[in-house]
Amino acid sequence: MATGLRSVTERTGGGTGQPFLDADHGDVLMLVQPGVSIVLGNRQPESPGTLFISTKQVVWLSDTDRAKGYAVDFISVSLHAVSRDPEAYPSPCIYAQIETEAEEDESEESDSESDSTLNLSKITEMRLIPSDPDQLDMLFATFCECAELNPDPTEEGEEEHNWIFSADQLENDGEEDEDSDWAFAQNPGHSIGANGTHDLVHSVVQLQINDQRFEDADEMVQDDKNGHN
Amino acid sequence: MLFFSYFKDLVGREVTVELKNDLAIRGTLHSVDQYLNIKLENTRVVDQDKYPHMLSVRNCFIRGSVVRYVQLPPEGVDVELLHDATRREARGG
Repeated sequence: MATGLRSVTERTGGGTGQPFLDADHGDVLMLVQPGVSIVLGNRQPESPGTLFISTKQVVWLSDTDRAKGYAVDFISVSLHAVSRDPEAYPSPCIYAQIETEAEEDESEESDSESDSTLNLSKITEMRLIPSDPDQLDMLFATFCECAELNPDPTEEGEEEHNWIFSADQLENDGEEDEDSDWAFAQNPGHSIGANGTHDLVHSVVQLQINDQRFEDADEMVQDDKNGHN
Repeated sequence: MLFFSYFKDLVGREVTVELKNDLAIRGTLHSVDQYLNIKLENTRVVDQDKYPHMLSVRNCFIRGSVVRYVQLPPEGVDVELLHDATRREARGG
């Protein structure tokens, strides 16, 4: 899922241009910050350039070379931070860690120093250095705002579909809670087979009650009750 | 949602966030959201020899999906409350 850093060689418009954003899929430009240098891994700063923060990605485009730019999706940014300590890095900057696909190999600091073999997908660190350090807090805030818009897709799915039920829950829902997710089981219009889904639900309940994993849970509920008697 | 509520109660306390890439960052919990994205203030890296360049960043945003553990301050853990909450969550309440 994490694709890491990628090269951006195309841009829109005249002048220094802007990155292509997929507005149809909700990628909206949030911030344009000129005068930003970028540092990839342990490399030398590349400058000058313009930083674009959109709702889905961070894009840096070189001011001098229209074919040069980098982008990373927020979904690949593990963390970002404000770095002002000169011991950490000489210039105040936004520091970001990038999740890469091949994290297991010894990619971290061992990248070849030669630019020609620069493998962007293995870059795990990025620094963005604004010409004016006072912009750091604002940049950090925008980073946070957009990062929060990009949860992992799988997590989102789990939030929306509560597939995991306890045995107790299934019993209760089947009996009394008509408004529950299981209500469709009682609606003939939506039944799967000629016999309806009721039997299916029933056997699922049976299945889960017989599941050893739930034995502890039942015991604990009873212990709890006994404790209060 | 249990841990979201729980971590919200820990705002202002010192926690250590351990990432899946083995980086551990200690700092004051500033905020947490529903995806367990975590914002820390006054952070410092636990293993400074391995990550000298992160010696001190003032604030830090950590993506929820890269967090492996959050180490809590012992005094910030109400065991009874957590017991009850986890039981309620297990029952779907």
